[in-house]
Amino acid sequence: MPENPTVIVEENSSPQHVLVNVFLRGGADGLHLVPPIGDDGYHRSRPTLALSEKGTLPLEGIFRLNQNLEPIHKFWENQELAIIHQAGTPEDSRSHFEAEDYLQYAGKSGGGWLGRFLHLTKKPTAGPLTAVSIGEHISDSLQGTAAVSMRSLEEFALPEKTEGWQSELAKLYATSGGALGRAGQDTLAAMQRIRKLTETLRAEQKDPNRKTAPDEFTDGLELIARLIQADLGLRAATINLGGWDSHYGAGVLLSLLVPRLAAGLANFGARLGGDLKHVTVVIMSEFGRQVSENSSLGTDHGRGGVHWVLGGGVKGGKVHAQWDGLDKALMTYPSDVPVKNDYRSTLGAVCQHIEPTIDLPRLFPGFEGAPLPLYS
Amino acid sequence: MTAPFTTRRHFLQITGASATAACVGCDPKMRRAFLGPLGDKIDAVNLASFTSPQGAQPDLISHVLSRLSWGVAPGEYARVASLGPTPEEAVAKYLEESLATDSKKLAAAAEDLVRQRQGLVEHESILDQAGELYDYHPKELNFELTRAALLRAVHSPHQLYEVMVGFWSDHFNIDSSKADCPWLKPYDDRTVIRDHALGKFADLLRASALSPAMLFYLDGRQNTNQGKPNENYARELMELHTLGVHGGYTQTDVLQAARCLTGWYAIGRDSKRFGVGKVEFISAKHDDGPKTVLGHEIPAGGGPKDLDILLEIVTNHPATPQFIATKLCRRFISDDPPASAVTATAQAFVKSQGDIRETLRALFATTEFLSVRKTKFKRPFHFLVSALRATGVPHECGREMQIALRRMGHMPFDYPTPEGYSDRGDDWMSTLLARWDFALRLGRGQIGVNNWQADTLLKAAGGEDGLTRHLLGRKPTADETRTLATAEGADRLAMLLSMPDFQQY
Repeated sequence: MPENPTVIVEENSSPQHVLVNVFLRGGADGLHLVPPIGDDGYHRSRPTLALSEKGTLPLEGIFRLNQNLEPIHKFWENQELAIIHQAGTPEDSRSHFEAEDYLQYAGKSGGGWLGRFLHLTKKPTAGPLTAVSIGEHISDSLQGTAAVSMRSLEEFALPEKTEGWQSELAKLYATSGGALGRAGQDTLAAMQRIRKLTETLRAEQKDPNRKTAPDEFTDGLELIARLIQADLGLRAATINLGGWDSHYGAGVLLSLLVPRLAAGLANFGARLGGDLKHVTVVIMSEFGRQVSENSSLGTDHGRGGVHWVLGGGVKGGKVHAQWDGLDKALMTYPSDVPVKNDYRSTLGAVCQHIEPTIDLPRLFPGFEGAPLPLYS
Repeated sequence: MTAPFTTRRHFLQITGASATAACVGCDPKMRRAFLGPLGDKIDAVNLASFTSPQGAQPDLISHVLSRLSWGVAPGEYARVASLGPTPEEAVAKYLEESLATDSKKLAAAAEDLVRQRQGLVEHESILDQAGELYDYHPKELNFELTRAALLRAVHSPHQLYEVMVGFWSDHFNIDSSKADCPWLKPYDDRTVIRDHALGKFADLLRASALSPAMLFYLDGRQNTNQGKPNENYARELMELHTLGVHGGYTQTDVLQAARCLTGWYAIGRDSKRFGVGKVEFISAKHDDGPKTVLGHEIPAGGGPKDLDILLEIVTNHPATPQFIATKLCRRFISDDPPASAVTATAQAFVKSQGDIRETLRALFATTEFLSVRKTKFKRPFHFLVSALRATGVPHECGREMQIALRRMGHMPFDYPTPEGYSDRGDDWMSTLLARWDFALRLGRGQIGVNNWQADTLLKAAGGEDGLTRHLLGRKPTADETRTLATAEGADRLAMLLSMPDFQQY
């Protein structure tokens, strides 16, 4: 490499805020994740599925936390985790795909909301890796911006055995000067960092004393954490955890899925350490589930669910809800948790915190609600 | 966003589309199998030997070719050189050739190209009428429209026309993910952009104003006399399509212009009646009172004529030629074009009453245009297309190319906000890694139909030296020669395509 290559993010400059969107596909049961233990209607409507005070951890008021989320309870205690109950879309769609589209695009405008957000807050120097989707495809929310989908770090690289080729190319860019010359050197420098990261990861994975069992979700979030720490100019990342469609045998299904969610987030927080204050994780699902359990010990597609905001300076330790009991919901069919917190109120608050000058009406066209008070 | 919309025909088509998407880009054998009868049309390139530029700097022919096309194909340099006894005369002939045919004829030729290459014989897909387009799955339309844009850019003999189609697609940007736009953008592409890309600006503007896709995209169909008008289109009409943001209009002008446009409606899926895709004027929803726009009084009772009067006012406003000329000069000269060239171009626009060909002719005659070299940074679409053109790699321009475009954030018809993709190099500098990756894979024969031989190109170019001059439009510098000497075989071609110089035009 040439001497003094310009790096994308100066080591000492204040770190760029990163927005991580975790999508729980399938319609996660908010009443199971953050049960309103103090609401009688909850227990009456779910004779077999309802959790009890004994199997849950304390949160606030009538709400408690599913025992299997214990690994993230510390975030709550450190006031780094805010919970938004009765969260969802105003449209009454119980189609997975339609509802997910609402949450990914967020308004009748072009592009996905996260793509629009990056676009509206365009920074003068974009790094070579601005946005990433973990998995096979680029998330719909990132439509409208340059994004990369990757399953592993190896994918942010050039074909193998091109190291010599790359360093020759780097020399040529160094002599060409100007913005293009700098961009070429920046990109090659970023690739070197990623190569180092890849080597570290490979070594760790081979380590027989490795603690965590491999899990796609945990590994994906870990990859995001590594990319953040490698200073590549990352500003947004998306990752999915699917399988929440608990129509049948919800108890067993969720007892396998909830621990994965918790473990992934806990590991992500631990990996980032103090850097979590520059990273906001927003966890959403396309809808919640009906209040009443069905005849196959599951629940069907409903409306309000739970969304979460973790890190990034959020004023945590609070459940945002305007709860007036589930009795009213139980009088109608289908029995839904009403949507009191539009998903754009949550996203609006987060986006405004990251970028105070953001033009919210352009980000969420047609939405007139106020951002939730998620920050002090 | 995409409500289910299933007819039998649609079902058959979507199955076909997903089969395409599933097999193209994975196993090369599968690719061949899918291409079937199409294969022979885009396979087997028998390159005749060709000569390349000899100058230490790109000469006039090399320069003009690189600016007026999506990249220089093998043999094109020699062909243009042979058009006249001197480079100046050859270029003059090439210009006339590029500006000779009118847009509608070129649009028809482009349709034929797509019919032939995309095999759109059984069903018309993107070439269908506005109402019929609703029978297709939006993902299929988007896939085929993007593919058509790429195929035309790569293969069309009418290169300047295709470049201008790209220019106006950005200028009158429509994101085909909004509302009914996925169904209507193919119609807009054909009847607005392609029919007028080298025509009269006023015709282009009017076609755009009454394009059902535009009425959806900028909410014109919601703009009525009931309550406050919807100003979305009226504002962008002035800010982005004609006067430019500092063109001297006020908020009152925007509101008054919006009033002129009330009542124009595009029938959509939500209208729940026949005639989807049709545009109509509903006089009951038109504000028929008097208006004043940019100092011009528009008397009451104009009805649908208000639109024509408004468009005439904005087209003839002095800021409009200046704004259009600036954007054209940015595309063809440099990111911050010299004022003198902009003035000359704007004057030609005024003198010819917005004739796009006359305007371009004036731009191409400026010394600023004729004397600059390689000042522009290729956007990702341009890079990819120019790499295919320069090498002659056969490609069906399906999923593989679209993934490359998406990775670099440059999918056509996919830009979310109305100003369109940026034409400034700085905004695209973060896409180098994806370019190098594409270049390396292309060099190694992993891109496109898998029977392309780098040797064929090398032989036709008369060896490595000729190939280098073909790709750079000039002789390599000492630094470039040194770098190229370190790369071997297929990776040498990749190096050429990855060098700073090939990113510029």
